[in-house]
Amino acid sequence: MGSEARWARYATVIVSLLVGAAVWEVAGRYTSDAFWATLSSTLRSLFDLLHSGVLMRQVASSFQLYLSGLSLAILVGAPAGMLLARVRWLRVALENYIMMLYATPMVALIPFILSMMGFGFAPKVLVVFLFAVFPILYNTVEGARSIRPELIEVAQSFRSSEWRLWFDVMIPYTLPFTMTGIRQAIARGLVGMVAAEFFLSPSGLGQMIMMGSQNFDTAGMLAAILIIVLLGVGLMDLGRYIENRFAAWRGYKP
Amino acid sequence: MSGAGKRFSKLQVFSDVELEVGEREVLAIIGPSGCGKTTLLRCMNGLIPLTEGEITMEGEAITSPREGVAMVFQHFGLFPWKTVFNNVAYGLKLAGATRAQIDEKIPEYIKLVGLSGFEHYYPYQISGGMQQRCGLARALAVEPRVLLMDEPFGAVDAQTREILQFEMLRIWESRPTTMVFVTHAIDEAVLMGDRVLVLKGRPSTVHEIVEVDLPRPRNRATLLLPRFAELREHVWNTLMADARQAELEVIR
Ligand SMILES: Nc1ncnc2c1ncn2[C@@H]1O[C@H](COP(=O)(O)OP(=O)(O)O)[C@@H](O)[C@H]1O
Ligand SMILES: [Mg+2]
Repeated sequence: MGSEARWARYATVIVSLLVGAAVWEVAGRYTSDAFWATLSSTLRSLFDLLHSGVLMRQVASSFQLYLSGLSLAILVGAPAGMLLARVRWLRVALENYIMMLYATPMVALIPFILSMMGFGFAPKVLVVFLFAVFPILYNTVEGARSIRPELIEVAQSFRSSEWRLWFDVMIPYTLPFTMTGIRQAIARGLVGMVAAEFFLSPSGLGQMIMMGSQNFDTAGMLAAILIIVLLGVGLMDLGRYIENRFAAWRGYKP
Repeated sequence: MSGAGKRFSKLQVFSDVELEVGEREVLAIIGPSGCGKTTLLRCMNGLIPLTEGEITMEGEAITSPREGVAMVFQHFGLFPWKTVFNNVAYGLKLAGATRAQIDEKIPEYIKLVGLSGFEHYYPYQISGGMQQRCGLARALAVEPRVLLMDEPFGAVDAQTREILQFEMLRIWESRPTTMVFVTHAIDEAVLMGDRVLVLKGRPSTVHEIVEVDLPRPRNRATLLLPRFAELREHVWNTLMADARQAELEVIR
């Protein structure tokens, strides 16, 4: 891409964002405050929340939940995925359950989790975990299964032990696939986080949205949503960056 | 190797294979694609078990990959996430070599196969010929007494293949080991082998073993010897007899 074309692109993006902001502002002016707040009042509300420390507290609370659930999903999903790929009978035994759970909209399980585990922190982590774990598990299994048998044979030919084979071959080969799963999990975990904060004990950014909605504080609600949107965009970029870093050698065509 | 046979469920790949490879001898095995050359080598390496007969090395039956044997793979078998250096070091590392030993030895083998300067490249950044040089260095680095070569130059272009053949001869002269060299190219079999074993039939059996009485060291000049042409013709006839017969029948 030439530098002129790149400038044209940037300009288009900026104009698009400005138009979006203007539409938001105008829409806020001409509708009831109960439905929609102007961009300026949303930003003002955001600033107040930031100033009073409420925003940071709620973001921290949400993040704690999000990171706990996501880390748990990675810690469980990645090793379990590799194990399933290598141990055939285990995969055959479990793959139907995994497909079923992967296909289930996780929100459907929330009432069940509520009645089982109540309102604490743990059930909320479980919700985030359930949202995030399946893309990781699924991508890891598929990745690890796509390993060329020749590479495993190379390891065996050089008298590798089973655990060295994991360490030298299975894990490095599968990591980029797991990273693809993690990138998807980053997005789905965020959905899980908001769902858990809505439907289990209200907390964090989810609680801010709910309270804003109940108190007809549309600006406060939009402020919380805006933060979630920005978080989502940032985390997706981070995910894509991590994925690309681990996939340098995928330029290789077997 | 005696009375060796291998079947995959319904498919009998080879049977009644009897052969012996002497110390520092190069046995070339030739046969059409799909006749079971790779399978035979995998059995010799101990990667998969035979279904009949047995293979012994230095008096012991082979049941799993042994120390002192190294394989060069048909499709190179390099780890794409490892650099050339780390690929070459792989076998030595598994054998428990220390960092110092690796740093001392690996550059030597990289140089031997002509890859100096490419230590930090990844396999996808170098050509097929160079990838197989890397595969060869990895096998040589564990200083095997027996080298198993599975169509090592089958996946590279014709020109590179010729270059690699003469490189291989040079390397073998500098450190002669026992070698089983599998190929489906007649020239290559005659050029490399002290004997050429022709594998043929369904299931494959040892059809003939041809003594190759060409002098060593062998090099490009070997290709011009009348004896080379004779031997190549002989192997060609053995290998192609049935194929031509079949072809003629189709024409009639
Ligand atoms: N793991 C396996 N299971 C079933 N059949 C196999 C397996 N490996 C190889 N074969 C079959 O055995 C035959 C010989 O294969 P191979 O040894 O790779 O031949 P070559 O190396 O001579 O081309 C082929 O028909 C192939 O399809
Ligand atoms: Mg083969």
